[in-house]
Amino acid sequence: MPAPGSFRACIVAGTIATAVLGALGFSTIGYGAAVVGESRKVEITQKAPSGIDALKAQYRRPASIPFPKDNPYTPEKSALGKKLYFDTRLSVTSAQSCASCHSPGFGWGDGLAVGVGHGMAKLGRHSPTIVNAAWSAIFMWDGRLPTLEDQALGPIQSPGEMNMKLDDLMARLASIPEYKPMFEASFPGQGIKAKTLAQAIATYERTVVSERAPFDAWIEGNEKAISEQAKRGFAVFNGKAQCAACHEGWNFTNEGFQDIGLPSSDIGRGEYLPAVIKMQHAFKTPGLREIDRRSPFMHDGSLATLEAVIDHYDHGGVDRPSRSDLMRPLELTAQEKAELVAFLKTLTSDLEPTAVPVLPR
Amino acid sequence: MRTIALFTCVIAAGFSVGAYAATEVIHQQGRVFSSESISVKKGDAVTFLNDDTVPHNIMSATKGNEFNLGSQAPGTSTDVTFKESGDVQVICAIHPRMKMMVKVTD
Repeated sequence: MPAPGSFRACIVAGTIATAVLGALGFSTIGYGAAVVGESRKVEITQKAPSGIDALKAQYRRPASIPFPKDNPYTPEKSALGKKLYFDTRLSVTSAQSCASCHSPGFGWGDGLAVGVGHGMAKLGRHSPTIVNAAWSAIFMWDGRLPTLEDQALGPIQSPGEMNMKLDDLMARLASIPEYKPMFEASFPGQGIKAKTLAQAIATYERTVVSERAPFDAWIEGNEKAISEQAKRGFAVFNGKAQCAACHEGWNFTNEGFQDIGLPSSDIGRGEYLPAVIKMQHAFKTPGLREIDRRSPFMHDGSLATLEAVIDHYDHGGVDRPSRSDLMRPLELTAQEKAELVAFLKTLTSDLEPTAVPVLPR
Repeated sequence: MRTIALFTCVIAAGFSVGAYAATEVIHQQGRVFSSESISVKKGDAVTFLNDDTVPHNIMSATKGNEFNLGSQAPGTSTDVTFKESGDVQVICAIHPRMKMMVKVTD
């Protein structure tokens, strides 16, 4: 918070500036729009966490999974969702399931640079992990879907992906006798519908949570859980390298949209906010849990290793108007880069094997 | 007497800055708007102060009150004056969890 005195002075200065602008005309006046005044520099006091313990507290794991009020958890719904998630009959060819691109074997991604869809055609972007999707507030690399329920139906219908019309899918699921009682147990009286299908898949996906990693043990006080090199990497991550400006909190993302200067023609979020310069080439900041199992990296899968990712940030990427103001050359040393990689590897847990469910017939 | 003086000041301020006086300050520290919802009179200004550690891009696509502050660096303050009455959804384009409502009244 700014000091009260300086803030009051700012308000007075601001009022004077506003009055002057009122007389001279605003910098931006558009008919039928709000009026934006000139921006002013203001002295502010940054509230940084005091000491390593306060910083570590920001990375503590949550105690429970958040489920939305309009789609609460039930074991029946989650079990049904798991079967649907692994069921290839959700695609028109009966050859692809959600798990084809979001596989537990690859950190809930697919291990490919870009996804593969209908007819084995390559898609435009890297398949994102679904790990910790329960904590997301916006979905897809470009943020075009607001809920996990919406997201679940997206790839099923997309002509380039599973290419399955929802009406056809409902008929197909209704023809599989063992699904009917499972839907009835999960959604009494509602039946097999697009809505219940989406709610079941989303409920299962919310149970896919990264397990405790060495980093978590260190956060909770076990100093031997990670190496001294990784601890120094954590300091670089939060300090000189500024990674935590976007990759913050226990899941290592604030879900912000940033153009990080990758040389790709894909405008990402810019498709939905065409007038906002900073949204051109901007993509959602992914979390970093299980990151060591999720290569290749970035929205286009263009970087094969964590070392290449860190080199990209160190360089700053393509300098263009849309590039995030946070992107600039970092001048990291070889030692700091190695420390960052060591730290990132502590975010990978010993994931329990995921049993593929026996599917209804 | 003190009340009268204050009243006079308010009147004088009102005349000097017209309808454009900044009446509300919205802070952005910690990637959060300091208020979820505020009410202002049509023609009043709201000050968006980036007192956070990272740039923000405050904007609204609500018809009649559209604006876009672009990339607002930490330590920058910008006034926005709302011209139409109604509920204005204000967001940060960069940080989708940042949402607030400005209720503009006649």
